[in-house]
Amino acid sequence: MTEKHGSARYFVLAIMLSLAMTGLAVRLVFLHLGAGEQSRSMSSKTRTYKETLAVPRGRILDGGPSANILAANVGAKDVWADPSVLIASNKVGVVASQVAAVLGLNPTETATLMNQERRRFVYLARYVPDEQADAVARLKLPGIHLSDTTTRSYPQGEMLCHILGFVNHDGVGSWGIEQCMDKYLKGTPGLLESQLDGRRREMLDRRIQEIQPRDGADVVLTIDQNLQYMLEKSIDAAMEKHRAKAASAIIQRVRTGEILAMVNRPGFNPNDFRSATDEQKLNRAIGYVYEPGSTFKVAVIAAALNEGIVTPTTMFNTENGRWLYQKKVLRDYHPYSQLNVADIIKKSSNIGAAKIAIMLGDERLDRYLRGFNIGSRLGIDLPGEEGGILAPASKWSSISSSRIAIGQGVAVTPLQMLGIMCGIANDGIMMRPYVIKEVVSPNGTVLVRHEPQALGRCIRSDTAAVMREILAHVTEPGGTGTKAAVEGFKVAGKTGTAQKPVKGHYSETDYMASFVGFMPADDPEFGMIVVMDEPQPLHTGGIVSAPVFGEVAEQAARYLGLLPPGPAIEDRSAIASQARVTP
Amino acid sequence: MARRNRKKTQTGLMFPARLALVLMAVAGVSLIYVCVQSRTSALGHEIKKLEAQRDQLREKVIKEQCEWARLQSPANVEKALKEHGLVMTWPSRDQIVRMRADGSIDTLMGPEPRPGGRLARVDRIVMND
Repeated sequence: MTEKHGSARYFVLAIMLSLAMTGLAVRLVFLHLGAGEQSRSMSSKTRTYKETLAVPRGRILDGGPSANILAANVGAKDVWADPSVLIASNKVGVVASQVAAVLGLNPTETATLMNQERRRFVYLARYVPDEQADAVARLKLPGIHLSDTTTRSYPQGEMLCHILGFVNHDGVGSWGIEQCMDKYLKGTPGLLESQLDGRRREMLDRRIQEIQPRDGADVVLTIDQNLQYMLEKSIDAAMEKHRAKAASAIIQRVRTGEILAMVNRPGFNPNDFRSATDEQKLNRAIGYVYEPGSTFKVAVIAAALNEGIVTPTTMFNTENGRWLYQKKVLRDYHPYSQLNVADIIKKSSNIGAAKIAIMLGDERLDRYLRGFNIGSRLGIDLPGEEGGILAPASKWSSISSSRIAIGQGVAVTPLQMLGIMCGIANDGIMMRPYVIKEVVSPNGTVLVRHEPQALGRCIRSDTAAVMREILAHVTEPGGTGTKAAVEGFKVAGKTGTAQKPVKGHYSETDYMASFVGFMPADDPEFGMIVVMDEPQPLHTGGIVSAPVFGEVAEQAARYLGLLPPGPAIEDRSAIASQARVTP
Repeated sequence: MARRNRKKTQTGLMFPARLALVLMAVAGVSLIYVCVQSRTSALGHEIKKLEAQRDQLREKVIKEQCEWARLQSPANVEKALKEHGLVMTWPSRDQIVRMRADGSIDTLMGPEPRPGGRLARVDRIVMND
């Protein structure tokens, strides 16, 4: 090979390489500057992805010492099918029967879902537990897929259902605490914008923006799940025994207004809220008004004592159980010729209470009842509270006050009735009831803390002390509420047996049996109301509701570490807090 | 004067040594870049994997907490007691012993404490019904 030939080849190679490099350079220039703009943006769009970072909803915890979980979000799986794949593989029948067997579905209905030729996505089952989802995955069926999701779980089942409420399938709180504290519980979702590689994996070094989600805050309740359980168990037993249609009961801490337990029956399972009826979902303790009957005498007599128009020893002619007033007859359950004010409460005399109300006068009675927050909401931090019904005094008839005195012509919620009793127990100061103790963010910051709040004074402190003494006689021998007595403690309370108004008349067969009281009578710690709707055949508050009070109050006293009265027990409240026990 | 060596005469084009050095440096830097890039990418994938694992563990913790809450609910404890044939009742008042700071003890039904005596502690009363 000559030197001349070698140079020529070198020259040709150089030209070819130069051409190739020029071509590439031109292509690069085009891609970066000119005609490649469109394809560049297309490529960028394909590679860039945005993801909303889901945030776990906060938990709901009880107010007991171990802060038990009452509601939390847990992971689950959605099972879905791609009908086009299933139809193409001609295995709809086989796949449907296998999936249905694992998920407990109807095979025919599952096959119908899968037989939708034009669809590429159809849910077969949502919020499937991990075990079932794993079983489906193990089948390795064509066209069957699983995707991650979360579901709200209520580990205690039906317990506290009316307070907790539930979250709908869109993750929005729709009842109870879930509804009213939704803005704290739901948190703030995050955002992730990044780029994907050729295998559709995120390239971490190409993250465009990442906004961290803020987890939902935990809501801590004042409710104690052990007290709640005691109350629910007793109510369930009483409902079965007395064949009651419905019931509600509340335990409230007298000095603070904290609700320690709240039970309503019928109830529902919030894990399966779709099958619950409106009747089951109703929180009767705060959202159902009823004529309170004799328990309401407490408010009227407290008002009369506060006005000084009667004393506990003032005697009244109780007309041997039958009194004609304004051409209307008023009867007592047990006839007495004469009773003093204390005995009017103890024996629950309608005639005595009516006479006291008449002495008090319409205006003053109306003023006192409104002071007890009758006719207006107490402002509990739960949705659906009713304010009761109390017409203004100007619209009362000549016999209204005599009927209101015995709890007719006025309607209250169980919470309001308990509020009256707790007001008396708390030296005449009404406290706002509340169920939310605090809201705590995931990093431990307290976002909201509810402190006890006084609504106002309903009666003087000395009147309240007298009332506590009078009410303590109700559970003593000879009173109507002896079954609410607790050994070693002085229990104050009042029974109520109210005929239910039906189509403008009072029913002869349907009653509301109730007992409302507090304990210990001389240094009250908690108040409790038990209301049973239409118990049969026994229907008086003293027989149906008072035993529930007695049973629960005894257990609650021990659980809360209350000691029976005795000398030299100096720091009772400190001891009570030390002695708080868990089961 | 030295004679020129004809055998050492250049016949082709010489590749410039400086250019070669530059190219080698560029190649070296590129290689390092590719290595670092692939390492970063691998770490990125690992972080993603760990993030997913963390989320899964977090979910598992919540699930276990829920299960634990269900297991220790009063209803479940009562059911477990029944299954094991354990019948528990509240202690009667005379079974509850109070201990005082001065060492004396008495029951809720017992003798009155000494004047000025303080309670040291209250025995735990187990709720078992």
